[in-house]
This record gives sequence, structure tokens and C-alpha cells, in this order.
Amino acid sequence: MTIKLNRRAFGGLLGSTIAASALAGHRAFAQSGGNVRLIWWGNPERDKRTNAVVDQYIAATGAKVTPETYAWGDYWQKLATQAAGGNLPDVIQMDYRFIFEYARRGQLAALDEFVGNELELDDFDPNQMESGRVDGKLYGVSMGANSMTHVYNKTMLDKIGFELPDSTKWTADDYVAIGRELKDQLPEGVYFSENMGIQEPRLQTWVRSRGKDLYNADGQLAFDVEDMVDYFEYWKMMQDEGLTPPADLQAQDSGKMEERMHVIGRSLFGFIHSNQLVANQNLMEDEIEIVMIPNAGDQPGQYLKPSMFLSMSENASDKSAAAQLLNYFITNPDANDILLIERGVTGDASIRERILPGLTETEQKIIKYLDLVSTWVGPLPPPPPQNAGEIDRALRPAWESVAFGQVDAKTGATEFYENAKRILERS
Amino acid sequence: MPSTASGRLSRFWQKNGAGYMFLLPWLIGFLGLTLGPTLASFYLSFTDYDLLTSPRWSGLKNYEYAFLYDRRLGNAIEVTFTYVLWSVPLKLAVALGLAMVLDRSVRGVSFYRATFYLPSLLGASVAIAVLWRQLFGADGLVNQLLFMVTGIQGPAWVTHPDYALSTLIVLAIWQFGSPMIIFLAGLRQVPQDLYEAASMDGASGWRQFRKITLPLLAPVIFFNLVLQTIEAFKAFTQAYIVSGGTGGPVDSTLFYSLYLYEEAFANFRMGYASALAWLLLVIIAIFTAIAFGTSKYWVYYEDESR
Repeated sequence: MTIKLNRRAFGGLLGSTIAASALAGHRAFAQSGGNVRLIWWGNPERDKRTNAVVDQYIAATGAKVTPETYAWGDYWQKLATQAAGGNLPDVIQMDYRFIFEYARRGQLAALDEFVGNELELDDFDPNQMESGRVDGKLYGVSMGANSMTHVYNKTMLDKIGFELPDSTKWTADDYVAIGRELKDQLPEGVYFSENMGIQEPRLQTWVRSRGKDLYNADGQLAFDVEDMVDYFEYWKMMQDEGLTPPADLQAQDSGKMEERMHVIGRSLFGFIHSNQLVANQNLMEDEIEIVMIPNAGDQPGQYLKPSMFLSMSENASDKSAAAQLLNYFITNPDANDILLIERGVTGDASIRERILPGLTETEQKIIKYLDLVSTWVGPLPPPPPQNAGEIDRALRPAWESVAFGQVDAKTGATEFYENAKRILERS
Repeated sequence: MPSTASGRLSRFWQKNGAGYMFLLPWLIGFLGLTLGPTLASFYLSFTDYDLLTSPRWSGLKNYEYAFLYDRRLGNAIEVTFTYVLWSVPLKLAVALGLAMVLDRSVRGVSFYRATFYLPSLLGASVAIAVLWRQLFGADGLVNQLLFMVTGIQGPAWVTHPDYALSTLIVLAIWQFGSPMIIFLAGLRQVPQDLYEAASMDGASGWRQFRKITLPLLAPVIFFNLVLQTIEAFKAFTQAYIVSGGTGGPVDSTLFYSLYLYEEAFANFRMGYASALAWLLLVIIAIFTAIAFGTSKYWVYYEDESR
């Protein structure tokens, strides 16, 4: 692993005082005849905003753009198939989990030659930019920063009249204690918390707060089987005490936003990423709020991460045109008036300064939250190994076999741990 | 006349030409669209192929892994067999039963026929699978009815490992339409005078069914059995949608084809998935061979002389 991982400073970009660099000139766009294909994963809210920006771009430049969008689950299958057919779209929304794989297999174009030309990144936070480098070359421009979070139903909690403690200081034990206190005051059929046994990022904050991580830079497991056992025992205990929904109800959440327990009104707390707050709030009548994961320990469990990148296909027919579209999304003020922070908080200082005052109350919560997180945050972990996605998926049946009582937490956790090691060896 | 090559050819066309013409649309599709990928997948099944880099030859490694090490595959086969062995006989029984009811001259029979066929038109669609997920969910219609009638709060059927597969079997049975139509056509072929003669001899309805309907319908039953078995082995959409793409809970609805799909397009093991596809072909071939092999003991064709 040759990339620099000292990215603690990544959080610095969110320091609440933002240097004013008001005079950011934005060049006019060169005309280009080629059709640029753009692909992203998202949700209805993101699709609406992205399509609006595409229309705006077409109107402003006369360029041709063909947009394409899928849900997260289908996206990577579609993308891999297109890559196999030599048919990748020109501009691709990329994830930190996959950018190394795609870049190292020659599917992505290095963007360095466009920086200073088509790509105007003078105002872009250097730390956030660094996260898009693979082996020293720039393969993606970060579209924003985010972090994991606990979301809760504020309307419901206010009705009970309960005051949450400082979320930078609360622990997993505090979380249980609060759950026990609130259990009988919650409406019929509402549970204190979603069960997060299958949430891989939640597991990551769990082991990181113990000074470990899911994977090390060599792509090996970087936590111990005991951590896994503790994790499953914790969530099994929560389920057994009725603080989280019974296993069959929880299993109805297949990962879609509209199926999450807090969204359908069956739990007070849930787990999301900060940039998802807007889309979550749009699905709900009650007001929701985000706080830090109850993981106060010796080490910070959370980190700030690039929510997603824009990358370019190595096979793009007109790379200059693709770079112009990419640049429009990152740096154009009008485009960002529409995009705002739905994909995370942008690294472009002048854009950030422009859009911050006009944000809605919900979006302001995200900014405030990331400021809070940056006071207690660890470094960006090394990129996950190739089969991390498979291990993430294997966590679901492993946890469910515990949740449905087929095996005890210790057996389930040990089996999962051994299975994860086998999956890593198999690549 | 000496038998020349051209003479043989023209005789061949005279005899089979019309048949091949009818076959043509399928044949063009097979040769033009299916054959190439099929052969390619056979080659890929002997390689490591992750879609992003070119395939690397790995010999029998994929097959070895499938036979010796893959525990999830064992589970997927068990789930699929359970599904096939329950859904196919039950579906055929329901289809035959309804076909016999509809075969009587009921008023508005074509309306009923169309209505009963409707689920099959919608059947394998995503929309119905989504509907199923709602119906059998924790707060779904099934549980609301159950609560109203019995006061029992039912489980979330589709997401409980004890019941999830059963809901998929029920979904399969509900799509009895196409075998029912074929049974109806078969029933029309049974000579009515046989029944008349039988009732004159005092044979009961059940006896008539066993001694006349079933034997004369055997070729149609055989046809439906083979077709539905192959369909059931290939089932994918229902499990994919109803389980939210996970094959869960606890892999209880992880059908063979769903596992294959996951290996290919989620875990990017296209070579291994190709091997799985060929193993599935062999499994289906074995079942079909068993059906054909035993058919001479129970299938009677009217134009056969015995």
C-alpha cells in the first residue's frame, strides 16, 4: 500500500471557520460534440437533483449527456458488467470501497492531466482531494464528506420529554441504559433501537473504538474474534430485552431506505450515514435528528470519509468533454445550488461558502453534526480489500442465525469470523 | 431410382421442412443469441474471471470448489430441491383440479378460465413479488386477517426462516394457469363415450378419474411435469424480490439461481458462477432423464399399439 494514510487532517476541512476565497473564477465551457454518459447510484431525491443539473448543463453548453441511475445494490453489478463489455459510462460515481479496484485494473482515467485545465480545483480542500488518489494518481474527485451516525425520532423523544446526554461522551452501555429507561414510555409497537447486528459500518465503529479496525493495510482482518462475540452478544441482549425489534420484523429491512425501522416508525433510533439525513427526512412525517454513535472509548470509533467520488472511464471517447461535465458538478455554482449537500459536504471552499447560508434546517443539521464529529474522529481507514463486500453481505445471515436463535451469539460470531477469513483467502 | 444425395435431401425436406419452418423463429434466436454465450460460459467455467480483468485458466478448480468446499452451495441445493419437490406436484394438482371443474359446461367458463390464468400472466413479475412481500409482511394483509379472525398475531412470514420458503411455494402454486390451460386442452381430447360407457357400468366418479382421465391424460401430465420442474429449478425473480435480494432470512430462500447470480454479479466470480450454471444444467438434465426414463411405465400414448 503506497498511498499516504495520514488523513486525520481530512476532518480539518469541516472546521467551522471557512477561509473566504470569494474570487473563484469559473471559465466558460468549451463546446463539445461528443455524447457524455453519466452514471450514479442514488435515491429519488438525488436522482431529481442530478437530473436537474444535467438539464442545466445541457442548456448552458449545448453538450449531450445521457444520464443513468440505479439503486446501490444494483449499481455495482451493472457497472461490473459494463466494464466487462468495455462499455463503461464516461463519468462514473465511485465509492471508496471500489475506487482502488477499478483504478488498479485500468478501468479509470487518471485525472491529473486535466487538473488546471478542464478541472478547476484551486479552491478544493487538499485533504479531501487526497482521498481520491490511488498510487499517487488522482482517480476521483470527492463529492463530499460524511460520517456514520445514529439517527433518532426527535418528535417522539420530545413527546416523552427525554434529554439525551452529550453524544461525544456516551457509551454503548449508556445506550442500553437509556433504552431500558425509555422502553415503557414508547408507543405500542415502537422499539427503542433498530437492531444493528447486520450493520457492517456499526461494527467498524465498535472495533475502532477499541483501537482496532475491520481491515489493515494488507487486507487482513484487524480485529479479534472476541470483539465479534461481544458485538453479537450485545445486540442479542438488546433483542432479548425487547429494546430492538424481534428478528422477523427486523429482517424485513433489506437495506432499502424506505424499509428501515426508524423510517417506518417502528424504532426510535437507527443507523445511517450523515448525508442520508435529507433523504430519510423526506420519507418521514416526524422530525429526525442525528447524534454520534454511542461508542466513547479509548479511541474514536468514527471517521470522516469521502461519501463518493466522480471518476472518469479510461475508455471515455471524449475525455475533455467528460472532464468538463465532471468539473461542472464539482465547481459550478448553479449546479451546486441544486445539489447542495445531498452527496455530502463539498470540498470546494467557494461553493461551500456560497451554499451554506441557504441550506434548509435539515441540511444545517448535517453541517453541525460533521463539525461535532470532527472534534472526536480517527483517521480514514485503509481501503477495504477486494472481498470486503462479500464479507459485508455474509454478516447478514450470520447475525440472523443468532437473532432467530439457531445458534448462540458466541458460535455465530466465531463462525462469521472464520468465514470472513476464508473469504479473504479465496480472492 | 438410385438414392442420390439430392434425392435424400429433397425427401428430408418433404418430410421435415414444415417442422423446421415452424422451428425457425426459435432456431434463429438460439443460434444468433443464445449459443455464443452458452459456449462462452462453458469456457469461462474453467477460468478465474472477475469481469474487470481477462479470464485466467484455472482448470477444474471451480468444479472442485463447488463439490468439496462450498457450504452455501449445499444449502442452496437443499432449498431449491425443497422448493421443486413441494411446488411442482402441488401446482400440477391444483391445475388439474381446476381444469376438471372448468371442463364442465359451466356458464361463463371462458371468464373463469381467463381469471384463473391471470396470476400466471403476472406471476413471475417483479410487481407480484413485491405484492407478496407486502401481503406476508409483519403488518401485511395476511396477518391483519389472521388477527381479525383468530386474534393471533402472526409472524412476518416472508422474513422468518421457518416460513419464508413456504410463502414462495404458495406463490408458485398460485401460478397454476399455464399447466391448467394445457390440462384443459388435454381433457377435451378424452373421448366422452368412454365416460358414458363407464357410468353405464356403474363406475364411480373417482374410479372414472383413475381409470379413464388419468391414463388418457398421462402424456399431458408428463409434459407439464417436465416443463414445471425445469421452471422451478430456474426460479429466481420471486426469491430475489421477496427476500430483498438477500436470499434470507438466514439463507432460507437462497435458491440455486439466486446464489449463482450473487456469485457472478455481486462477488464478481463469473468463472465460478459459470461452473455453477453448468452444474445446474446437469442437475436439470438428470431430473428430466429420470422423468423420461420412467415415462414408459406410466405414460400411454393413444397412437401407440400395445
